Amino acid sequence: MLHKRIYQFLIVYAVGLSVLFLVKYGLNLSDYVIPPPKEVWITGQKYWLEYLREVLDTLSVAVFGHILSILLAAVVAVIGRLTNWVGSFIKMGAYNIQSYPIVAVAPIIFILFGDGIAARLLITVMICYFPLLLSFIGIFSEPVYHIEHFYTATHRLTWGLSLRIRVFENIAKLVTVISGSATVAMVGTIVAEFIAADDGIGYRIRIALYQSDLSKILTALFLIGICTSLYLLSLEYIGLRIRKRPGISAGSFS
Amino acid sequence: MHIDLEKLSFGHADSDTRVFEEFSHRIEGPGFNALFGPSGVGKTTLARIIAGEMNGFSGKVASSGLSRILYTYNLERLPDWSGIGEHFKAVTPTSQTGFLNELTRIFGLDPYLESRYAQLSLGQQNRANLTRYLVQDFDVLIMDESLANVDEGTKKDIILLVKKRFPDRLFLYISHNVVEVSRYCKNILVVRRPDKSPQILTVSGFDDMGEQEPERETLERIMLEMMNAS
Amino acid sequence: MSFRNPVKVLLLSILSGFILLSSAFGWEESQDIAYRLKWLANTSTVGDLYADARGMFAENGLKVLVKPGGPERDAIKELELGRAQFGVASADQIIRALSKGAKIYVLAQIFQVNPLQWIYRPDKSPLDKPADLKGKIVGITYGGIDENIMKALLSKYRISESDLTLYSVRYDFTPFYQRKVDLWPIYRNAQGPIIGNKIRDAGEKIDYFDPDAHGIHTVANSVITSEEVLNHHPQMAARFMSALIKGWELSMDPVNAEKAVQTIRQFDRDTDEDIIREQLALTRQFVKPRKDVPFGRIDVPAWKQTEEMMVAQKLILRPIGIDKYLKQAK
Repeated sequence: MLHKRIYQFLIVYAVGLSVLFLVKYGLNLSDYVIPPPKEVWITGQKYWLEYLREVLDTLSVAVFGHILSILLAAVVAVIGRLTNWVGSFIKMGAYNIQSYPIVAVAPIIFILFGDGIAARLLITVMICYFPLLLSFIGIFSEPVYHIEHFYTATHRLTWGLSLRIRVFENIAKLVTVISGSATVAMVGTIVAEFIAADDGIGYRIRIALYQSDLSKILTALFLIGICTSLYLLSLEYIGLRIRKRPGISAGSFS
Repeated sequence: MHIDLEKLSFGHADSDTRVFEEFSHRIEGPGFNALFGPSGVGKTTLARIIAGEMNGFSGKVASSGLSRILYTYNLERLPDWSGIGEHFKAVTPTSQTGFLNELTRIFGLDPYLESRYAQLSLGQQNRANLTRYLVQDFDVLIMDESLANVDEGTKKDIILLVKKRFPDRLFLYISHNVVEVSRYCKNILVVRRPDKSPQILTVSGFDDMGEQEPERETLERIMLEMMNAS
Repeated sequence: MSFRNPVKVLLLSILSGFILLSSAFGWEESQDIAYRLKWLANTSTVGDLYADARGMFAENGLKVLVKPGGPERDAIKELELGRAQFGVASADQIIRALSKGAKIYVLAQIFQVNPLQWIYRPDKSPLDKPADLKGKIVGITYGGIDENIMKALLSKYRISESDLTLYSVRYDFTPFYQRKVDLWPIYRNAQGPIIGNKIRDAGEKIDYFDPDAHGIHTVANSVITSEEVLNHHPQMAARFMSALIKGWELSMDPVNAEKAVQTIRQFDRDTDEDIIREQLALTRQFVKPRKDVPFGRIDVPAWKQTEEMMVAQKLILRPIGIDKYLKQAK
């Protein structure tokens, strides 16, 4: 599985790079617009280790932000299930926050959290949590009638039990949604670093953009692709382990 | 004890189909009775109305001396995060522990108490589901296809056990199996289409208590009456 | 021909995409002229807007589409790709592009003095001479020209980077408002009146640190075009530049100040007229420091100093001989 994922990424990257070079030489563009293969290679050799460190830094924030997003989405979705005023208020708040462009919210984030790790994390969470929230709300509020019926009929169905049933029955969906959102977490962290940090690969991309240095950006994209693939693979592996646990029946995945 | 259905009317909201049209009927208890009729006639709907699990009907369901009406059906599942034995323990009142053990033995579930629900056969699943209902405190238990996929021998043991153990309760047994309904049930409530009046006809069943084998002619007569009624 | 081979299909798709793409490029004189600005429409682009809105391009028989810029826009790339025929870029961008073989020429230098300065609070961070930078927290945009200017200044006055703290800045001024940073880079003419007034209104004193006053003469925004336009459409380039110079000259003339303010307001509805008036007066100091200085004069020594600075800081590998690419428009 590991090899397949990496090969797939390498093919996509190579095709993308080939198209760029084809355009460069086909239209006779200067090295300023699209750098030559040799420059990309030299830049890659010169910066890969430095950039790898930055990508890993970004990845660590993305993973942490991803976990926070999952927790936040779960909490908001659980509270959002409440039919009272607090539930609807929190749900509405979550939807509103999502509708604001991060660039506009950034000054408030700077004031409250400075421009270090906290701001990076917060922006990552803001970008990543909403798709998770929508899925969680969908899953948490959809009754598993055939299981819940007994507990409802015998007055044993607490909100905790219904949540447990719904999570358990939809564990495969949840694993898929969570794995899928890993990419969003990585992108969210890069955006956060682009606008609000002094570290991470997003920050380095911003500098490279200022310098119109596409070679550096291509190097960064290559490393981001590899690291994100590895992160996705780890999540898929964890998902596979969860699915293989006793009690996770085929029915849970239908 | 009885349940009175007064001027009951019901139609599906998404179509013009009427299921019940202002019909009234008294279901007498106690005893092991049946709700019988062709598919789509409204047996499950009626059962859920009686159990208080459905709205959107007009008329009234009144009962005397029946405070707890439970409805169980064959598609129910137990959560798979633990074995069925653990689930049984979690939902069985302490006073019923002995009865639970008796049930799991007679129902042939003892070897599977560690197993998850999904690992059981369909027949075992139905028995496991019924077990947890039988240990609850109820006055009326409606069993909708609850013994489907259970072999005849075990089915007989289960029904006879239920009848002996709960002589003072009312059971409504929904099944398409004419033979078992005619043999084991006391009153067979044949549910008919809304254009027929009355919409429920009662046929007396053999009400087998396990004391003597029913004669073939008797069962055939009951079955013929059921067919004619529907 | 068989299309069963996926490699063949992929190559053919790429080729067709490429042909389609190339047909989108290339520019004919009959088409509109695109002029890509460096930044959003504001007082720093007043002459460009004036020439457009007051019909100077049209008078010269040209149909020009003035396109606002932004952080992600790069006029040089657009020139090469044929999406624009003229553009505005900063000197460091231009020198970097030339060092990588871009075929572009500088036609006019908009700012005679680089308006990039550093805003600071004199009460909190007194600053009379460059040596006073020691011990201060100085904001710079890593990768931006202000980084190069500050480093050149430090080098000129033999101040080590370890003597002060460099702070990475971006679009948002919050760290400066919060007094976490002593000096913050600012475009004196455009941002000064807005940010400076805001701080003054809060009862604080402000001042500006000008690297140009300390011998760091660098070039900011300049008008550029491609080799293709210059070689094959010299008449059109001349007409364009004549209209543009007229627009700038008129907009910089104090007599036309109100017209200039109203022109900017047409494109920038978010800035108060009083602020625009203040910005306009400041812009005049940078674009036409004296009446006898014509608009667009290319300050060759400043360009050379900018190039030398970039070589010294290894931003380009070797000198490119910038004077070859400076084609003063008349």
